[in-house]
Amino acid sequence: MAPVYPVLPTRSDTLAAWRQGGGQVAAVFPVHVPRALFRAFGLLPVEVWGPPGLSTKEGDSHLQAYACSIVRSSLSWLLTAGQEAADVYLVPHACDSLQGLASLLLDFLPPGRPVLPLYVPRDHGVAGVAFLAAELGDLADRLAATLGRRPTEDALHEAIAREQAADEALAELLGSRLHLPWSDTDFYRLVRGREFLPAEDFTEFVREALTARTEEPIEGRRLMLSGMVAEPAALLQAIADAGGVVAADDLASSGRRLYPPGRSEDPLERLAESLLGAAPGPTRGSEVQARVDHLVALAERAGVAAVLFWVVKFCEPDLFYLPQVRQALEDRGLHTAVVEVDISDPLPAQAITRLEALLEIAS
Amino acid sequence: MSWLGTASYHLNVSLVGNAFLRWERMRLQRKLALWEHEHLNPPLGTSPRLKELISRHYLKGRYADGHGPVAWVTSGAPVEFLVALGFYVMYPENHAAVCGIRRKVEEIAGAAEEAGYSQDLCSYARTDIGAVLSGNTPVGRLPRPDILVCCTNICQTVLLWYRVLAHHFGCPLVLIDTPFIYDEASDHALAYVLRQVEAAVEVAEGIAGRSLSERRLDEVTRLSLDAVELWAEVMATGQHSPAPITAFDEFIHMAPIVEMRGEAYTVDYYAALLAELKQRQVDGVGALKVERKRVLWDNLPIWHRLRWLSDKLAERGIALVASTYTNAWGELAGLIDPDRPMESAARVHMHVILNRGTGHKLATIRQMASDFQVDGVILHSDRSCKPYSIGQIDQRERLGTVAELPALLLEADHSDPRSFSEEQVTNRLEAFAEVLEA
Repeated sequence: MAPVYPVLPTRSDTLAAWRQGGGQVAAVFPVHVPRALFRAFGLLPVEVWGPPGLSTKEGDSHLQAYACSIVRSSLSWLLTAGQEAADVYLVPHACDSLQGLASLLLDFLPPGRPVLPLYVPRDHGVAGVAFLAAELGDLADRLAATLGRRPTEDALHEAIAREQAADEALAELLGSRLHLPWSDTDFYRLVRGREFLPAEDFTEFVREALTARTEEPIEGRRLMLSGMVAEPAALLQAIADAGGVVAADDLASSGRRLYPPGRSEDPLERLAESLLGAAPGPTRGSEVQARVDHLVALAERAGVAAVLFWVVKFCEPDLFYLPQVRQALEDRGLHTAVVEVDISDPLPAQAITRLEALLEIAS
Repeated sequence: MSWLGTASYHLNVSLVGNAFLRWERMRLQRKLALWEHEHLNPPLGTSPRLKELISRHYLKGRYADGHGPVAWVTSGAPVEFLVALGFYVMYPENHAAVCGIRRKVEEIAGAAEEAGYSQDLCSYARTDIGAVLSGNTPVGRLPRPDILVCCTNICQTVLLWYRVLAHHFGCPLVLIDTPFIYDEASDHALAYVLRQVEAAVEVAEGIAGRSLSERRLDEVTRLSLDAVELWAEVMATGQHSPAPITAFDEFIHMAPIVEMRGEAYTVDYYAALLAELKQRQVDGVGALKVERKRVLWDNLPIWHRLRWLSDKLAERGIALVASTYTNAWGELAGLIDPDRPMESAARVHMHVILNRGTGHKLATIRQMASDFQVDGVILHSDRSCKPYSIGQIDQRERLGTVAELPALLLEADHSDPRSFSEEQVTNRLEAFAEVLEA
């Protein structure tokens, strides 16, 4: 019997349906986003990772070439099609370039709708949680002022529970990758549904998908993919063509955002604990050893033979720890390769060659 | 601390080193009298003293291991508590700038690149990591840190860089994370920073093996404030025409305000420098022999081309009378409160220009352009400093359209000469000079 693959709505269909139901939309930029807060306000958070493949001409006239393509593409989108695509825009502070993007939008290039920055603290302890909870409180105040309404605490708790269920579903989905008989392209179509589907819909699709789990793992040379986002999307087909399968995910758009539930009774503190409890990631300024340990454990758990660092050109957070992380993985017999890409460009032939060589060596 | 370390320190620094550096200062002073340049007046008479200060600072570092605790800190971090606890404070960014001036970056950063660090990373970070990995440095030797203090008020790069250092040295990293100010600093952000400063003190006390004396902290904070105020006055002399000091001089003379805050000798040095500049004003002596146009610099300097750029501008009679970069170490004097050193440390370090939005920077540029009566602005688009550079394209556009100030965007890198095209920069500077003269 052929495996059942859930029929997912597209991003634009989802937005249209949401708006038709009277909902509003928040365009949110990478990486860590308090989705539950937006949902409690009746806003559907829809993530913007570029978008890829878009001409960056508009952004390039405001940003230097050494800003990464995610930021240049985001600005291009905001200055063109994205001008009024959302009711509010959220720019979390993930790096110096996104900080610059938020600042540019606030000071010089305001889109048609409000822009809300959010500082995600690099201190992950008690001080960081207290700060982030207060920061989320400020964000809630600004949303209330913009939208003219404020959710009850119960509504916020409900939204947190829904997102928590979706986070757990995403974790289960990623953990089941080798037992789901689909191509990486199809698999990641579902994974990336988390970027725009309402949490409850995403959870439902995942539940449906997980019914297709097989006893035996699928075949293919197991690869760990590390980076910001699997773009250009042709990468996944290239991996399949080279006989590979993404068995472990360390992408900022998915695997680095498996949030554990918060513990506090206070909803904002609970949200803050959850966001700061994600796996060690460079955009959060995690310790080198924590990153090393996390990646080694991820690779060993999935039994991967190779690790592909898929780095967006000029992404300092992803570039900094590469020497230590690669060394640790190679010390354990894993093969690694680094490929730098521009998400606005088509998949470069050179990248395919590197990928093929990596999987060949690892076989 | 060890007996041998202390003995070595006193022998090499207090006795031999100090005597040599005094002799070297006197030698440089004699050399200054013979100095000649077609377009520039003689360098400031305090310059040899500055060289002595900087050399002594690095000499102390060279022999600091075993003598006392050592802290490596980012340039924007609060250091008064470290000075008060007796730490030798080392600034990797300043060291990288020294490597830039001495044109050693390709060689030293190359060691980091060979180890796998991308050339797209900040050249300061690559230089520092390269120096750590190779031991190669133009200052003799860098001391091993007992503690790393990283303040994110200048960029997020420093955190990733210091995480790498902490991993390498296996020493504690104290983080002072300063939320970026898009418009105004919130109370919870200030509370967050204060909490981290207090936690940093506790860690530093543990390493120093003693408690922070309130009296000593007040004293150090007052010395810091005195130096910062004097530095602000030094820079303000550039408002005079002809300007007795240029930003090129300031890039060098700023070293003590960055790496020797909280010390009495820093205050004495800036008092002497200010006196000399005021005398130059009285005597009508400018840094340039003929000052035709006045220009403001934005962003870090191009360390490896300071002399070259200075000459290029001087030959056209263009005086670089101020810079937003050097201004950053003077503009917050009003926020320093020696009676509340911890709170003021939190407030001051949140409000540095690099921790504020692009609109605030434009406002600063415009205010300085007015104060210093400049004819144009050079915006150094620094490949290694995204927080400073992003926004410059729109700032330039607004300077032209709103403030009617010609502005030049100059692509380079503060330390890495591989990102510098002499021919391209020459062409752009010449075109800019023509616009200024039009």
